[in-house]
Amino acid sequence: MKHSVALSVNGDTYDVLISPNETLLDVLREKLGLMGTKKGCDLGACGACTVLVDGEAYLSCLMLAVNAAGRKIVTIEGLAQGGELHPLQKAFIEKGGLQCGFCTPGMILTAKAALDEEAVPTEASIRRKMAGNLCRCTGYKKIVEAVSSVAALSGKED
Amino acid sequence: MRLPKFEYAEPKSIEEASSILSKEDGAKILAGGTDLLVNMKHRVETPAVIMSLKRIPDLSFVRPEDGGIRIGAMTSLKSVYSHPTIAEKLPGLALAASSVGSYHHQVMGTVGGNLCQQNRCKYFNQSRWWRSSRALCFKAGGELCHVVKKKNICFSSYCGDVAPSLLVMNAKALLESKEGKREVEVESLFTGDGKSPLGLRRGEILTEIRVPRESQEGFSTYMKFANRESIDFPIVGASLWASPDTKTVRLAFTAVDRKPLRARKAEERLSGGLQKSALEEAARLVLEEAKPVNTSLYPASHKRDVMGLLLESMITKFLGR
Repeated sequence: MKHSVALSVNGDTYDVLISPNETLLDVLREKLGLMGTKKGCDLGACGACTVLVDGEAYLSCLMLAVNAAGRKIVTIEGLAQGGELHPLQKAFIEKGGLQCGFCTPGMILTAKAALDEEAVPTEASIRRKMAGNLCRCTGYKKIVEAVSSVAALSGKED
Repeated sequence: MRLPKFEYAEPKSIEEASSILSKEDGAKILAGGTDLLVNMKHRVETPAVIMSLKRIPDLSFVRPEDGGIRIGAMTSLKSVYSHPTIAEKLPGLALAASSVGSYHHQVMGTVGGNLCQQNRCKYFNQSRWWRSSRALCFKAGGELCHVVKKKNICFSSYCGDVAPSLLVMNAKALLESKEGKREVEVESLFTGDGKSPLGLRRGEILTEIRVPRESQEGFSTYMKFANRESIDFPIVGASLWASPDTKTVRLAFTAVDRKPLRARKAEERLSGGLQKSALEEAARLVLEEAKPVNTSLYPASHKRDVMGLLLESMITKFLGR
């Protein structure tokens, strides 16, 4: 039986008709056309499908879309505000935190959840929280530098 | 990988959830989804009904009370280890919860779901394509256990991180159904049968964990050896609890048997005093009590070596506290 569900994604509400066996990842990509969220392993082991659910880093490949009703979802498409990139997006560009770019949406959203939780984290804390996001170009050093630079910035604002 | 088809239920109360579980033969409980949905994608679990507990109120909490600490079954692992009382009074539980999977699994996964996770085996936790090169194993619906080459038996390992830390704290589990509630030892949740590792009665749901007050007074730790520190299940995990006067020592292991294992013979030996001879004998006794088999990429002999090393490391940490 299909379920009629209202999904809140990036501030917009989408009414969708979905089967219970559809993951949030598949609905985002195939029903809403939001291709920024990537499908990597599809088993919760690579972090490429990370989205924010009520501000926390969730693996959208392991979440049923019907279970996402009533939650606030943010994908990589929802980070830039008023045509301006989010500081994390700018930092990834400035520090060279991406090569092929496939892991980048998941990396940036995990980093956002981590920084929202802890404004000035240690490098060890950044590394621990982002360890579930794999980068097969192995550009981890620059990714951690990019996240640390934003953390240092937000620290100064306080 | 598409999930297989199923009917979806979102009960609003324990009574309603219990009725669905009693009525529907193939119903499974969905908590965080990080174990069940992976197994379903692999087609080793294909329940007819998935029942999410997310809409049932008051299953996610940490409540320090006079008699001990109460933890709701749907509390996320992150909320467990981030709670100041747990971090301070039950460091062994905090360490175990923060060592599960990756940060994402700790955000999504729940303490109840982690306890009630499926057993694991290198012949079971594989895609349908991988498994198609040989007959189905007994756990997946066939006849033969490929690990021990015997029929009608399953030697899959219980690999949860949280269970051993609760075992050494003598934690209790609250089980609820429409017939009522009962409190049991967390240890007695596990059958030791690889095919159906959980011993809940039909219609029962784990709703709460209770850690007794006396467990807050002692030393506790959890140590884990895994393939990758960042994400993996334990190759071996071990928990230690010791009373302030060091006269009582409790010890438990995970991933070395079909259920999480209290090593009682070793505990008895260590409770007499932690001199070198006692440690050596305890390290020998834990090997007698566990039955690791070749269910992971690491051979059972390696697991036995690691058990001794983790025991030694935990005792060293305790003595250096």
